[in-house]
Amino acid sequence: MTASRHASFDRAYPDVSQPGVAGSGGFARYEVDARFYDEMFREDGALRGVSRRLGTALSRASPEDLAQLQEGVARRFIHEGITFTVIGADEASEQIIPIDCVPRLLTADEWDHIDRGLRQRLTALNLFLRDIYHDGRSLRDGIVPPDLVLGCPQYRVEMRGLQVPNDIYVSVCGTDVVRTHAGFAVLEDNLRVPSGVSYMLACRVAMKQAFPRLYRAHNVREIARYPEQLYATLASLGSWAGTPRVAVLSPGRYNSAYYEHAFLAGEMGADLVEGRDLVVHDGIVYARTVTGLRRIDVIYRRVDDDFLDPVTFRSDSLLGVPGLFHAYRAGNVVIANAPGTGVADDKAVYAYVPDLIRYFLDEEPILANVETHLCRTREGLAYTLDNLERLVVKEVGGSGGYGMLVGPHSTAAERDRYAARLRSHPDNFISQPVLDLSRAMCFVEGNLEPRHVDVRPFVLRGRSDTWIAPGGLCRVALRRGGLVVNSSQGGGCKDLWVLRDGQVPD
Amino acid sequence: MLARAAADFYWMGRYFERAEHTARLLRYQLARLVDTPAGELAVGWRVIYRALGQSAPITPTVTDEAESFLLADAYTLAASLVEETTNPDSIIRCWTTARDNAKQLRPWLPVRVWTCLNQGFFWLRDCDFPAAWATGPAALAGEAIDRLRLLAGVVEARMPRDDAWRFLELGRFVERLQHQAALLDAWDRIGQAPGDAPSLSWAGLLRVCAAHEFYCRTHSMVIRRGPALAFLARNPELPQSLCFAVHRIEQLLAGIDPRGARYPLAAPHRMVLRLSATVETDPASENDAEGDGGSFEALLTDSRALHGITVSTYFDYPVEAGLPS
Repeated sequence: MTASRHASFDRAYPDVSQPGVAGSGGFARYEVDARFYDEMFREDGALRGVSRRLGTALSRASPEDLAQLQEGVARRFIHEGITFTVIGADEASEQIIPIDCVPRLLTADEWDHIDRGLRQRLTALNLFLRDIYHDGRSLRDGIVPPDLVLGCPQYRVEMRGLQVPNDIYVSVCGTDVVRTHAGFAVLEDNLRVPSGVSYMLACRVAMKQAFPRLYRAHNVREIARYPEQLYATLASLGSWAGTPRVAVLSPGRYNSAYYEHAFLAGEMGADLVEGRDLVVHDGIVYARTVTGLRRIDVIYRRVDDDFLDPVTFRSDSLLGVPGLFHAYRAGNVVIANAPGTGVADDKAVYAYVPDLIRYFLDEEPILANVETHLCRTREGLAYTLDNLERLVVKEVGGSGGYGMLVGPHSTAAERDRYAARLRSHPDNFISQPVLDLSRAMCFVEGNLEPRHVDVRPFVLRGRSDTWIAPGGLCRVALRRGGLVVNSSQGGGCKDLWVLRDGQVPD
Repeated sequence: MLARAAADFYWMGRYFERAEHTARLLRYQLARLVDTPAGELAVGWRVIYRALGQSAPITPTVTDEAESFLLADAYTLAASLVEETTNPDSIIRCWTTARDNAKQLRPWLPVRVWTCLNQGFFWLRDCDFPAAWATGPAALAGEAIDRLRLLAGVVEARMPRDDAWRFLELGRFVERLQHQAALLDAWDRIGQAPGDAPSLSWAGLLRVCAAHEFYCRTHSMVIRRGPALAFLARNPELPQSLCFAVHRIEQLLAGIDPRGARYPLAAPHRMVLRLSATVETDPASENDAEGDGGSFEALLTDSRALHGITVSTYFDYPVEAGLPS
């Protein structure tokens, strides 16, 4: 810390435990809006119990201090290459995810609720995936319409009847969780190749450097074990005589998440491979090394199903490994997540997840779903078309915030064009109400202001247990009033501090 | 080690060595702009371009290579080697390509090495060459060399001596062998002219190779062709000498593939022994007689062959050859 920052932190500051703190002093630009749950302040403008220590520290800091911290974090990300690639019309450019230097806080109880909900959800989704590729009981019993599952582009007939090791289809999951006044809810399950965990870890390292004393004082739960846990999870998926050889299969450096692939491989001591590095011979997968071919036991793939194996899936794929699926079927290699898991994170199937939890686990869902209208049904389509200006409409197989319509922020012409698409391919769309996403404090353009946030916790499912990193990638819609948090759509991220027991609840 | 990663380390080493080589040549030439006659400068540019394996600048009305360098302006010739992204030998192109290789090596590359490499890249990318030209262009080449040396120091300090490091070093010394052979050949054949015609000094060659002070200390202030070339070819203590590069390649290959260094020798080991014999016996006799330069050319051909054999042995071998026995 510089001398000026010490001076700034030590200056006199207001009593931040009183109502009306929001909107005054250092928080002059912070308006509490009763429509949205505020992570930092109560509706009367007083700091929530959990945020008092953080609020006090922020009220002492000058905008110059915070700007300096934010700049330092951004510079570090650029120099260390913590970037993602954006493919433009002409060339690929490297960008950093904007990092907000104000952490979001959750109490131990709040996290415990999310944790239990995610465990329950992933258990049910794994059972569902096993079911649809074997007995199809849930389809026959009418829990999910069979045509929705069997007609889903992510349903892989090649997986039918295949015995997946330990029946674990999804080992790595990143679920998007939002908070409204009604509580926490799941917005989306990412069961194919969820990304963002490296930014979660990088954010944490940056925050520890930026706020060392504040971090220590908050007694935050640690997330640094993620790579170790990921390796343990992947290694637990099979039975090996010795130490299994793990490889991270990446599409290559032009992939937007390439930094993450490299980071995870490095942290796990695994090989970072591309399709061209692997060969399949006699049903065994080998990596080309400088001293010959070496067997690979587990592949943590960050390549979509379509491109995994040109012999089995898309024949024009240059990213995959010919014969890989054959080796997988023969049980000679483990692929995580298993091919065909995408059917369970289809946005239309999402609507049935609460029913699946009740069906497979005989429990009530701990985490709610967001109200979803399926345009494949006559009523759903009619409702969506009648309320386009109030709804968010998404493609069922879409991701990254692409191809969606945010009704209240759209023009009449955009809605007309979207309506035409809806009418021609209603099966491709779902709609949801515009969510009153909670807001957290962010340092934007020199001021502390509220911004809408969600969080993507990362869940690891191994042979004997499930581990959830106590934290997550907290995504921020940096544009004032914006609701889209995806990094590809101008979103940023911030650290999420999950506090241990004993912290002051609200 | 993964073959593709080894190849990336190898190429990264080659590109950084190439960038440094280009920068050394430029620093020498640009420092002479102040007080050197035009004819001698043109010879300098011609030698540099020939040493880099590049053709003369295009001048439709002039077909003679020597004359085309006389007519070309220094700014264009220098800019092409500093900031022209399509020129395979320009400093920016080499640095960018090396960084692209490094991007694929993040799991193997210590963070400090990546950060140093990246900071150098940002410095170079943001350099204003026209402004540097106005204030002293040799300083820009000098700073590029300093940053490359800093990177080499960080690599030295941070990287374990495993196969990743060995392939990085192998790339550097294969590149060094090639460009040093090409430089000695070009300086000897094109840089020298009979009588009063403009020529390049042998002291200049020693300076480009960072060997001038060492030569003066161990030999003489009077620098003649034969001893200078022999010094640059065979001195085992001079990092820029051919002999030094060949010996390092030999050591590195023995570390990468110890079995290949035992008889019967593997193909890369055979080739490096052949190169060693050539350097020890053939090029640049000690006497002052003008040579035909053919021995440096042969060395260059053999060093290119070594590259081909390295690629086919370690990076791009047939699947059948790599199967476990």
